[in-house]
Amino acid sequence: MLTASSVHQVIFKGSPEGLRLYLPEDTAFDEVLLQLQQRIDAGERLWSGGGKVFLECGQRLLDGAQIQAVQQLLQSHQLRLTQVGTTRHQTAVAAAVAGLSVDRDLEEIQPIQASSITVAEDPLYLQQTIRSGVQIVHNGTIVVLGDVNPGGELLAQGDILVWGSLRGTAHAGTKGNEKALIMALNLAPMQLRIAKYVARAPEDNPAPGQAEVAYISEGTIRIALLSEYGRRR
Amino acid sequence: MSTSGKVIVITSGKGGVGKTTTSANLGMALASMGKKVVLVDADFGLRNLDLLLGLENRVVYTILDALSENESDRCRLDQALIKDKRQPNLALLPAAQTRDKSAITPEQMKSVTAELTESYDFVLVDCPAGIEQGFKNAIAGASEAIVVTTPEVSAVRDADRVIGLMEASGLKHPRLILNRLRPHMVEENNMMSVEDVLDILAIKLLGVVPEDEQVIITTNKGEPMVLSATPTQAAQAFLNIARRMLGEDVPFLSLQVPDPGFMGKLKALFRRR
Repeated sequence: MLTASSVHQVIFKGSPEGLRLYLPEDTAFDEVLLQLQQRIDAGERLWSGGGKVFLECGQRLLDGAQIQAVQQLLQSHQLRLTQVGTTRHQTAVAAAVAGLSVDRDLEEIQPIQASSITVAEDPLYLQQTIRSGVQIVHNGTIVVLGDVNPGGELLAQGDILVWGSLRGTAHAGTKGNEKALIMALNLAPMQLRIAKYVARAPEDNPAPGQAEVAYISEGTIRIALLSEYGRRR
Repeated sequence: MSTSGKVIVITSGKGGVGKTTTSANLGMALASMGKKVVLVDADFGLRNLDLLLGLENRVVYTILDALSENESDRCRLDQALIKDKRQPNLALLPAAQTRDKSAITPEQMKSVTAELTESYDFVLVDCPAGIEQGFKNAIAGASEAIVVTTPEVSAVRDADRVIGLMEASGLKHPRLILNRLRPHMVEENNMMSVEDVLDILAIKLLGVVPEDEQVIITTNKGEPMVLSATPTQAAQAFLNIARRMLGEDVPFLSLQVPDPGFMGKLKALFRRR
């Protein structure tokens, strides 16, 4: 099960009862709010009509003002915070004061073994431009509908698909999966990484104006036209 | 007098791309078009805007004096405002030169700019370089943003960063001014073109300003270049941007390399040999 201690960034998960919002435990609150706004912006179109949100913050301490800040941000997008899941007493009190129901019966946090192959999460779908300075980390596949600009970074345990121009840095298979792929409509990255391999963009890069895919073959990262790559399989 | 003005922040991320020059010229241009404009210098500790407007010797109170917690030290906001001697529609709210960016909070900035909108049509906030406290202060009260950049990869990347940060704090749809473009360098493929920059930043273009040596001269004199009776191409570009800010549909200047003339052609002929 996903817990707040296993997420590195703010993440939304759909469930039959509503959206579950996971906050990372050791990220500064300002950064958490920034990520939350980005996630909301990136997925806005998909959440029609709003709904209920359950906040999972694990061991993270939240005070009343911080809960209110999250609440306001959600509210501005017709999302209603109803419940807070926490293992911390102070956070539970703050949530109760804010009139939210509190769930303290979260299962015990299990330490994550970095080496173990974990089951990948659902793909993260982002409709936005990933601008310089933005880093997206996800334990699964990342799909971006938009451009990834120079200075932007995608780190995915699974594949990376960019429906736009990839001009920043992309790392697929961050946990070591050498079968991971990176593909983009216009592949012009600063740097590509798949599992432990790194490739720089070629100096004289003639962008073919067609979708391309990067994959590992014989120990190096290769790039092929997506149409040809598909045919070879 | 109950104008409810707009608060527009002028920002760039990178320093030295022309934020303050842009602020001074747009402020002056808008004022000359009959709008009431106040320029707010948010660059605490590195105050420049007063120099560009030639108002440096008239600064008595700063924004900090108007915000002072101590009743006896406090001045009224209109006492801190400096009216421009040439253009009565233009006023400057100077930053404190002796303090740093932490001397003011985003909330204070918000309340000051909100108060200014009651008597001004345009509140232009000149943002400091960087993305730290000074930037956060400057964008706090703004409802619109203008991003200034130059056609260089470093400036464009920094502009991209601030656009992302502004979007994340709810300041959506900033508009772009591309400053210091050199048409002949673009033509020779030695400089990013307008299209190259727009391709990356993907925001709406408000104007393109060509490189102009007059900027240095007018800055030293403390006279924004839009005041000139015979505006240069850059000054004309600023005037056009001001008109676009007022909602007019002004076509973009065609920035082509001027015809080299007979002597130029002759020289080119020799170069070819």
